[in-house]
Amino acid sequence: MIDRNLLRNTDWILIAVLLLNSILGVAFIYSSSHYLPGSYYVKQIFWIILSSIALFLFLSVDYGILVTYSFYLYIVFTGILGGLLFFGTRVAGAKSWVRFPFFSFQPSEVIKIMIILLLAHVFAKFRRDYVSVGKGFLGVTIISVPAFLVALQPDLGTAFSYIPILFAALVLAGLNRKAIVGILIFGLILGIFGWNFALKDYQKKRLTALISPGQDPLGSGYHILQSKIAIGSGGFLGKGFRKGTQSQLRFLPARHTDFIFSVIGEEFGFVGVVLIILSCSILLWRLFQSIGHSRDREGIYIIFMVAIMISFQFLINLMMIIGLFPIAGIPLPLYSYGGSSLLTTYLGISLVLNVKMRRFVNI
Amino acid sequence: MKNSKIYEDFVLVLKRSKKIFILIHVLIIFLLLNFWKIQVLDHKKYWEQSEANRMREIVLPSQRGLIKDRWETILADNKASFKVSIIREDCEDYDKSCRKISRLLKIEEGVLKERIRKYESFPIFKPIVVKENLSFEEVAVIEARKLEFPELFLQAEPKRFYPFGSLAAHALGYIQELSEEEIKNGLYQQRRLGDLIGKTGVEKVYEATLVGTDGRALEIVDSVGRTKGEMAKRDPQKGQNLILTLDYALQEKAEELLEGREGAVVMMDPQTGEILALASYPTFDPNKFIDRFTPDEWLDLVSSLEFPLENRAIRGQYAPGSVFKLVVDLGALELGIVDEETTFTCKGEVEIYNEPFVCWVEKGHGEMSLIQGIRNSCNIYHYQVGKKMGIEEISRYAKMLRFGARTGIDLPGEKIGLVPDPQWKWEVRNERWQPGETISVSIGQGPLLVTPIQVALYTSIIANRGRKVTPHLLNSQSQIGNKIFAESNTVEIEPSTFETVIQGMWEVVNNGGTGWAANVKGFDICGKTGSTQLISTEKDEEKKEEKEEEEEEEIKTHSWFTGFAPRDNPKIVVTVLVEYGGMGGATAAPLSKQLFNLYRRKYD
Repeated sequence: MIDRNLLRNTDWILIAVLLLNSILGVAFIYSSSHYLPGSYYVKQIFWIILSSIALFLFLSVDYGILVTYSFYLYIVFTGILGGLLFFGTRVAGAKSWVRFPFFSFQPSEVIKIMIILLLAHVFAKFRRDYVSVGKGFLGVTIISVPAFLVALQPDLGTAFSYIPILFAALVLAGLNRKAIVGILIFGLILGIFGWNFALKDYQKKRLTALISPGQDPLGSGYHILQSKIAIGSGGFLGKGFRKGTQSQLRFLPARHTDFIFSVIGEEFGFVGVVLIILSCSILLWRLFQSIGHSRDREGIYIIFMVAIMISFQFLINLMMIIGLFPIAGIPLPLYSYGGSSLLTTYLGISLVLNVKMRRFVNI
Repeated sequence: MKNSKIYEDFVLVLKRSKKIFILIHVLIIFLLLNFWKIQVLDHKKYWEQSEANRMREIVLPSQRGLIKDRWETILADNKASFKVSIIREDCEDYDKSCRKISRLLKIEEGVLKERIRKYESFPIFKPIVVKENLSFEEVAVIEARKLEFPELFLQAEPKRFYPFGSLAAHALGYIQELSEEEIKNGLYQQRRLGDLIGKTGVEKVYEATLVGTDGRALEIVDSVGRTKGEMAKRDPQKGQNLILTLDYALQEKAEELLEGREGAVVMMDPQTGEILALASYPTFDPNKFIDRFTPDEWLDLVSSLEFPLENRAIRGQYAPGSVFKLVVDLGALELGIVDEETTFTCKGEVEIYNEPFVCWVEKGHGEMSLIQGIRNSCNIYHYQVGKKMGIEEISRYAKMLRFGARTGIDLPGEKIGLVPDPQWKWEVRNERWQPGETISVSIGQGPLLVTPIQVALYTSIIANRGRKVTPHLLNSQSQIGNKIFAESNTVEIEPSTFETVIQGMWEVVNNGGTGWAANVKGFDICGKTGSTQLISTEKDEEKKEEKEEEEEEEIKTHSWFTGFAPRDNPKIVVTVLVEYGGMGGATAAPLSKQLFNLYRRKYD
């Protein structure tokens, strides 16, 4: 079983910060959805317990072993994503759920962990100062397959969230100027192609709504505008717990999931916003600070990619709700209601803990 | 960092991760500044917007004004009706909702989604009607399962109801949902998709009067759409009632007489222009399609070959036949081409411009004066007069008597008919006017086209000895928008000229003329029959052929009668047209008699 040394080397602060943020999340989910049928906050507590168990179970396996077998894990989950397209049922327009008797979850979230492990496996072996073209393309291929399958569900937001993980790996492996220019050009071409051929009209509207949400306040700019009204009307001190008029009064859509932070902004004002961002920043800081505490390159890659994965969702979600980023369906980690996202975050942090507690090489 | 020798050198990687860490914190500070701007600097603006937001606006549908006949019989009423709407925002799962609602309301899922798709442009918190005219059972079921269906919104709505069904359907018109084109036209700026508007008839013309002002309630609502209180309320304003000049009994009689035929009846007060009956047959029941969802009945009506939706009284264009002869007579008398003594001999056939022209009596009428010519509706007499008068004068008098122009009746879509002259022929057909055509026009044939309402107005001008009126359906006593229909100017024809022609018309009915069948003892009816050979539009041709196939006998004539009574101080004009009715004296005249009779019993 788990070595006593390992227990001693476990980063309990990180776990505490993780739980603190999760419990705050439950409170806000309660505030924003207590009047809706479905008791979302109870479900969220259930998910926290389940994810915590998963976190500790995941710790018991040395990450080295996980990295070794990462390719198989990746293949299994990619297979599930492929199978969903054929056998999945549509929920809210997308085939992204695997159903179990008491709960269901989205493999498109959990596969992020497998991507991280596989990328760590691939890039850790790379010892030169700058990334090679071959490795770069291997990385692109690794995220492209699941991203493509998820985009077909269709769930572009989640598919898009795989990119920063790859980006993290590439940054660590080293990007020279040529590579950066290459990525920019590639991104631009992809963007132009996507706008003309891949994006659906409602997605384009979301992008244009970003530039001028007031143009069509009851149409595509609706979410952004309502969210900004909620946040702005909160003021400095907020309206108080469960007193948010926007979020309580249904003007704010998806208030317990993607727009949970708007509820925070409305009910607790700027003070609440700062505190919650601070609380999240402590988590991020702890993650980034852990990067040095690793016995090998795999470990560094893993911690960095997990940190970037969480930071990316955190930043994008906050930008989204105040209209700085198109509405892409990216939840706020640990705060938005949703089991799959929560589980993924926990598993990611479990990997970080895993690396950290096994940082001392046994000689 | 204690990176001892047994560990690899991670300096470069750590440096890179640190850069990213700093970048992330720069972004976080940037975000905080944005939140500062929204929450602190712009707080007031958003606070005001949020205050406006916490209320939900509910549209309280107004009642349309009632439409009544001249004796205040209600022709268009309202009745309570329930409609149920979906609020998409409250659907937990749209597809699942649709499936459940489709089962609850017994609408096919595809149909349901189609209905919702139509209003896709609505913001998602706005109710979209999915079913209306709910039965009480349906209302009870929806109400009972309210908690299960927070996305459904039940609302009562006053609904147009025509108590007499098809009675006066063409005059009243009907209401239907505003189409997208109508919204784009900008004609109905206050109205929105989903509103019902008058599509034709009085309902359309007086839309602005009839339509009420929808009320608005600003409600505080909870998450499942239950009202928690009212912030402000503006009650709906009922639309104004309309009193029409129609007479229920006369209208009913007119429609009863037309039943089974195709045709039109106009009854009008010549002194005022008030329309007492305006019937067109076949007809339709407007109750059947006051619906947001175009039912099959409507499509059947639109595509029917008998054109039941067409208001023949104002939109049917027919050759006037002998009814038109009075125009020639009035003109000729006025111009001094003939006088009461002038006679022509009718031998049943005459050759004019090297073409044979016949009278309807094969052996001829013998020597005919003007009055006898009218009484017997002699063609030969009118050929001769028309030839002397010339097409320009005929057309001038026809226009003077208001043919070839809208009568101005307060109904939409009135047709203008056609008064031909050489210039028209040159412009439209690019052909020279043939002298023979003048001869045809003299007896109301040729390219000439008139509508029943024009004939009724023309009869009124004669009855008034020249004074013009504007036919109308709105009772001027109801004083809506101070609409004045009175027209005081008169045509440039001497009253004595009218007296001569009226003498002829009197003999048509009362002295063994062609219209004897319209005679009502002691009511001094003056009238004129008309029978028109059919050679007009293609549509008619098609119909004619069909008719002929259906009924072996060859009825090819439209039957006209128009007249007024009493001779002095006339009170009522009756114009009857029966398509394929045969000779005017045989069909239209006896129908008119019954209408005169009823009028006299009721008003005299």
